Amino acid sequence: MRTPTFTKGGSRSLDRLLPLILLPVALIALGPVVRLLLEGIGFGDGLTSEHLTTVLSRPSTGTALLHSLITAGGGTVLSILIGASFAFLVALTDIRGKGALVFCLMIPMMIPPQITALAWMQMAGPSSTLLKLIGLAPPLGSPQPLHSPGGIILLLGIQHASLVFLTLRAGLRMIPADLVEAARMSGAGSLRVWAQTVLPLSMPSLIAGGAMAFVTALGNFGIPAMLGIPAGYATLPTLIYQRLVGMGPSVLPEVAVLSLLIGAVAILGILFSRYVLSRKGFGLVGLSGNPLALSLGRGRRAIEVLLWGFIFVILGLPLFALLATSLIPAYGVPLTFTTATFDAWKEVLFVQPGTRRAYGNSLMLATSAAAILLVISLPLAWLMERRSNRLSRILDALIDLPYALPGVVLSIACILTFLNLPFTDMTLYGTIWIILLAYLARFFVVMLRPIQASIAQLDPAMEEAAASVGARLSRRLRDIVLPLAAPSAAAGAILVFLTAVNELTVSALLWSSGTETLGVVIYNLEDSGETVMASALAMSIVLLIVLLMGLVQAGAKRFPKGVIPWQS
Amino acid sequence: MAELSFSNLSKQFDGVAALDSINAQITSGEFVALLGPSGCGKTTLLRLTAGFEHPSAGEIRIGGQTVAGASQFVPPEDRGIGIVFQSYALWPHKSVFSNVSYPLEVRRVPRAEREARVAEALSLTGLSDLAQRMPSQLSGGQRQRVALARCLVFDPRAVLLDEPLANLDLALRASMQEVFSMFHRRTGATMLYVTHDQGEALALADRVAVMAAGKIRQFAAPEVLYREPVDCFVAGFVGDGAVVSARRTGQTDRNLLLLNVLGQEVLSRSATPEPSHVSVRPESISLSDDAPLRARVTGCTYLGGQFRLTLDTAGETLVAFARQRARIGETVGVRLHDLWAFRDPEGVVTMERALAHA
Repeated sequence: MRTPTFTKGGSRSLDRLLPLILLPVALIALGPVVRLLLEGIGFGDGLTSEHLTTVLSRPSTGTALLHSLITAGGGTVLSILIGASFAFLVALTDIRGKGALVFCLMIPMMIPPQITALAWMQMAGPSSTLLKLIGLAPPLGSPQPLHSPGGIILLLGIQHASLVFLTLRAGLRMIPADLVEAARMSGAGSLRVWAQTVLPLSMPSLIAGGAMAFVTALGNFGIPAMLGIPAGYATLPTLIYQRLVGMGPSVLPEVAVLSLLIGAVAILGILFSRYVLSRKGFGLVGLSGNPLALSLGRGRRAIEVLLWGFIFVILGLPLFALLATSLIPAYGVPLTFTTATFDAWKEVLFVQPGTRRAYGNSLMLATSAAAILLVISLPLAWLMERRSNRLSRILDALIDLPYALPGVVLSIACILTFLNLPFTDMTLYGTIWIILLAYLARFFVVMLRPIQASIAQLDPAMEEAAASVGARLSRRLRDIVLPLAAPSAAAGAILVFLTAVNELTVSALLWSSGTETLGVVIYNLEDSGETVMASALAMSIVLLIVLLMGLVQAGAKRFPKGVIPWQS
Repeated sequence: MAELSFSNLSKQFDGVAALDSINAQITSGEFVALLGPSGCGKTTLLRLTAGFEHPSAGEIRIGGQTVAGASQFVPPEDRGIGIVFQSYALWPHKSVFSNVSYPLEVRRVPRAEREARVAEALSLTGLSDLAQRMPSQLSGGQRQRVALARCLVFDPRAVLLDEPLANLDLALRASMQEVFSMFHRRTGATMLYVTHDQGEALALADRVAVMAAGKIRQFAAPEVLYREPVDCFVAGFVGDGAVVSARRTGQTDRNLLLLNVLGQEVLSRSATPEPSHVSVRPESISLSDDAPLRARVTGCTYLGGQFRLTLDTAGETLVAFARQRARIGETVGVRLHDLWAFRDPEGVVTMERALAHA
């Protein structure tokens, strides 16, 4: 392409300056990951594989890896069972209230895992306020049944079921309705249609969804931390956490190897799912998008009751248990009309400096991350869609990495990168800025993709029309692109905010006194036995999240397809 | 208003030539249509003129200023050219009034003058009552008029129209053609109108550039295109009728040649002394029972007022108009007169190639 010579100044300088934002974005988003890779081969101390062999040959590493694989694998099987049942029933049959059902199924994914764990722990075990309320609590001294590999698997399975659900439902929507109609014309009943036509065709999405659930479960820190650490059952993320918290930055080279190990397993999972998805082509011919509505006949009411009952058990009961615990004056006291009190709520929301600071930190981090990403993503998305070049395409392909990799891996990468700022004596470790940088890197794609989608949908003639009437690039971006991409940008910002408020894994490794986040404080409160306060704080966060999700849902009609994750 | 000129203008996309050495002058205030099948390069020429694409070679001048050339490129926003898109490209978040006033806002025109000019543009396009509507509340024809008003309001040096009627229904097309004509008379703007519909092009334009495979085949007034096409493609693409091969047998005076067409000796107007084909328009055929050239009727459709017959004679298909209905399979006598001959030895081949893109 010829480089044009311009006759005047003005927007042409912007045209040239704009591509420069690719550089800092690439540095922040991908720099830490690259730095971590270098650490594995002994960057700084000369090339060596010494760390690699020492750490990998230690028995604790093998045990943790095994535990990680067992829990993530078991959780994935459970996720597939739950997610696939819901996806088949919601996408293929005529059950009612699908929207509400899907929204409720998505809530576990949006609730921070440590809150899920906390809530379930309030539902089982001898101190359960809920069980005491109905007189079913096991005798004091009996063990908490969830403090076990089984408990971890159960909660991982529930937490990530929605991933399987979303992938499979998207796949099911691609199946042309006339294929099913043809099968019925050939005399197949509903069940036979499902088993012999739908199931084989949806296998690739089912496998891909399972792979995503596996990778996410592998990187989950909140659940194995809350349930596994008390039981002495370490997975790779909790092993890294315990090492780093116990020994400080001196063990960095060692935990870097551990995080590379998780990263490697995760990337294998991602590659596997991409491979399966790319081979998805059965060559489906026909009109897709026609919703299938196999009639369930008289069984419909029963199945609806079953599904809602299931939602109640995995979502309603734990949250009731959490609420019950948050309303008692002290842990172990039964909940009655006379004992019920909002003291813990008042304490965490208005009195305790630690929790108030955490609220402040989390809200500040989430808001800043959302705002900064919003400002960068808009021109970046425009650049990627309208002025695509080699660098922007590479960035486009790799920017998923910090989000797809387990949070522990990114945290270690960030510590390595920002422990000593290049060319200075300064360190960001222990400051709130390292958490912010990590959030920026991790949530970039959460913000970028919706904006990218809406700009891609935008008719280029809109901008060309503005150019032809005399508007320069900066004006076109401000007057045409910004207003038209605004709804998706808002959705992206709320999603970043939601995910950042929830965040535990990254901040668990990066926090220090004064910079604790909500996720960290809940974990620490529970760890130090302040279960009632932890429950009150957790319950307040759940309310905030459901409120924000509702806000996004309310605007659903204004966003392009695929912007809202639970409406793909 | 300004004149447009293209010299040796070429454009390649990934090595494939979309425009091949275009040379043309459009005088100030002229209404020019670019006519051709899909993929002929007409829209590329329009987008190069607007400044959305960079030429691979050659030059574009607007009013004497080089806007695209070897060492110069003026971006669209500095060209002062209005464009009406096929999709209208109205900004959905702005009302009709704001859509039309935006070009003036960008130019920092003071508010009072801006409102006056917008009101004038809206009344010229008959939109005064719809000023506060949003684009989504308008019909196709109304959107089209907003797009037109938006590009008139800032007095562009030239107005480009990219298939502006393609998305409208038949009835609206006719009335919008009148809007464009009226508009051109009132403003005297230089207009470049891209279309694949010859009816539109011939009805509206002062001159029509017929394009095929990245080249301008003929650039002339509509009646010239119809009566004196330069090659088989233009003869076949513009207007009804047939193209038949011909051989010279003698010459009478300056412009009239004696040709052998379909085995008959016929007098024909011609541009060259050694023509290879003649264009036979339906008006050039009279049916008479005693004519020596016999043809079989293969089709008969009623056009209102007259019948259109397709005739087969010696393997060639002719088109004729008739007062009376003819029976399929019936044999009629055909007399040819007032033909136009031209030289295009590879004619039929290029035509197939050009239409292969369509």
